[in-house]
Amino acid sequence: MVDVLRVAGLCKSFGVIRVADDLDFKLALGECLGVIGPNGAGKSSVLNLIVGLIRADAGSISLDGRDITHVPAHRRARLGIGRAFQIPQPFPHLTAYENVLVAATYGGGLHGSAAADWAMDVLGRTSLAVKADRIAGALPLIDRKSLEFAKALASKPRLILLDEIAAGLTEPEVERLIEIIAGVKADHAMIWIEHIPHALRAVADRILVLNFGRKVLEGPPGEVMDSRTVKEIYMGLTADDAA
Amino acid sequence: MKGIAISYAVTAALLVAGPWLLGEGGLRFATECLLILAMAQMWNLLAGYAGLVSFGHQVFVGIGAYGLFLISDTLDLSPYWVLPIAPLACAVVASVIALPLFRLREAYFSIAMWVFSEIVAALVTKAAWLGGSAGLPLRSSRLLDLDWFEPVLFWIAGGLALGTIGGLFLLMRSGFGLGLMSVRDNDLAAMSVGVDVQRNRFIVFVLSAAGCGLAGAVSFLGNLYVSPAAAFDVNWVVYMMFIVMIGGIGTLEGPIIGTVIFFGLRELITDQLGYSAGWYLVALGTVAVIVMLWSPRGLWPPLRDRFGLKLLGVGRTAPTAPDVPPLAGKVGQLG
Repeated sequence: MVDVLRVAGLCKSFGVIRVADDLDFKLALGECLGVIGPNGAGKSSVLNLIVGLIRADAGSISLDGRDITHVPAHRRARLGIGRAFQIPQPFPHLTAYENVLVAATYGGGLHGSAAADWAMDVLGRTSLAVKADRIAGALPLIDRKSLEFAKALASKPRLILLDEIAAGLTEPEVERLIEIIAGVKADHAMIWIEHIPHALRAVADRILVLNFGRKVLEGPPGEVMDSRTVKEIYMGLTADDAA
Repeated sequence: MKGIAISYAVTAALLVAGPWLLGEGGLRFATECLLILAMAQMWNLLAGYAGLVSFGHQVFVGIGAYGLFLISDTLDLSPYWVLPIAPLACAVVASVIALPLFRLREAYFSIAMWVFSEIVAALVTKAAWLGGSAGLPLRSSRLLDLDWFEPVLFWIAGGLALGTIGGLFLLMRSGFGLGLMSVRDNDLAAMSVGVDVQRNRFIVFVLSAAGCGLAGAVSFLGNLYVSPAAAFDVNWVVYMMFIVMIGGIGTLEGPIIGTVIFFGLRELITDQLGYSAGWYLVALGTVAVIVMLWSPRGLWPPLRDRFGLKLLGVGRTAPTAPDVPPLAGKVGQLG
């Protein structure tokens, strides 16, 4: 079986700052890869590389066996990459329904009533159906986060990229979001950047630890979270040991 | 939707009857208003929906006008028949300059458009075959029936204004329009859900140039004379900008309101109160500053939101929700 996503030897630097340093990983359908790492480790940049908002210096990215390293961002979205931004990026003057309809029409390639039905379907799944006709810019944070996920889902992606989608939410809201995400997991490949350990443990099959653009560790959630390396990176244990 | 169709038909009927309802002066004034409204809508299409703020749209007014005069005189054809050349010429020019201009963003694009316009104006001023700085008379005007000249111009202007508004309305309700509005709101997010932002911008730029060119050509046809100073006057784009900014950028109703205020002010100050044109510009500037401070997106959005108005609503209402149970709230499905 072909992996949905395959990243090989991916490199990207901004001046002396390395945001991706010879990165390799792959992802199959139904699989969720959690990504953790300190601020500035290059997590969001890796997503930007995958969706095509920034160009790789070296390496390759393929989606369903097709090389997309040089494909522009909007084409990648149509080929099947949906992304939820860390800071919600709604279309503020359009309604929630129209927001999702844009994704269904362009990313999903649907038209007319097929697009409308699919948009409503997605809004229903993300608990936004009752707010379909509300202007997106006026929605509260949890709804904007859900809408961010809904837009990604509505573009009928093979691969969903989630960037700290649970950050800033209350505990019950995080639970609600986990349920929504877990509910679509089986039909998609997923990368989820998050700082909330229990959220990742609930959904992720593997966790990848990034630091200075390098893959430090990759493995099952429990193993990675409890590992010494992660503690060193997050708590600076090495410095303490040396003292 | 029905209300819009009826008011559209009534407006169209009023335009047809216009020459009999208005005096000669009134007719000329109305023609000017309608042409400026059409230009403002075109500028709004580009700035409001594609995020490209052009300071050089006068170049399309000029190219449209010169294109009309040149072809009509050379082929000795009635200017009415040559009118379609004007938008075509502008569309061609726009598609060529889009290549370098679209590499520039924000203010750089704005300034580059202005510079391009100045370059074309300078070249036209130097070109003897275009009449140089003295300009060109419309020699083919002898082919026109001058008794019907003003009414026909008014009808063309009315058709153009109504056509741009109707066309934009239909465009915004189409799938392409949905993409345009998404780019207006957030180009990064639009790209991320598959909207080809650059292609959208290109199409809108060409459409906007063509519409402006046609309106410019009709405007100078009315003068029977074109000169570079008048055709490439930066005031053209200043008027378009003023109208769109105070009326409501990125809305179809905004430019209509803006045009009413723009010409209302002019008539009030120069005609009713008898002040000079200089004071009129002072008043325009003051109104613009006050509106910008009170409502940066123009007058229409706050009016619409406060009173729940809907004139040319291009929004889509969600169909009734199908019976899809939400994924959240089904505890026990996860285990």
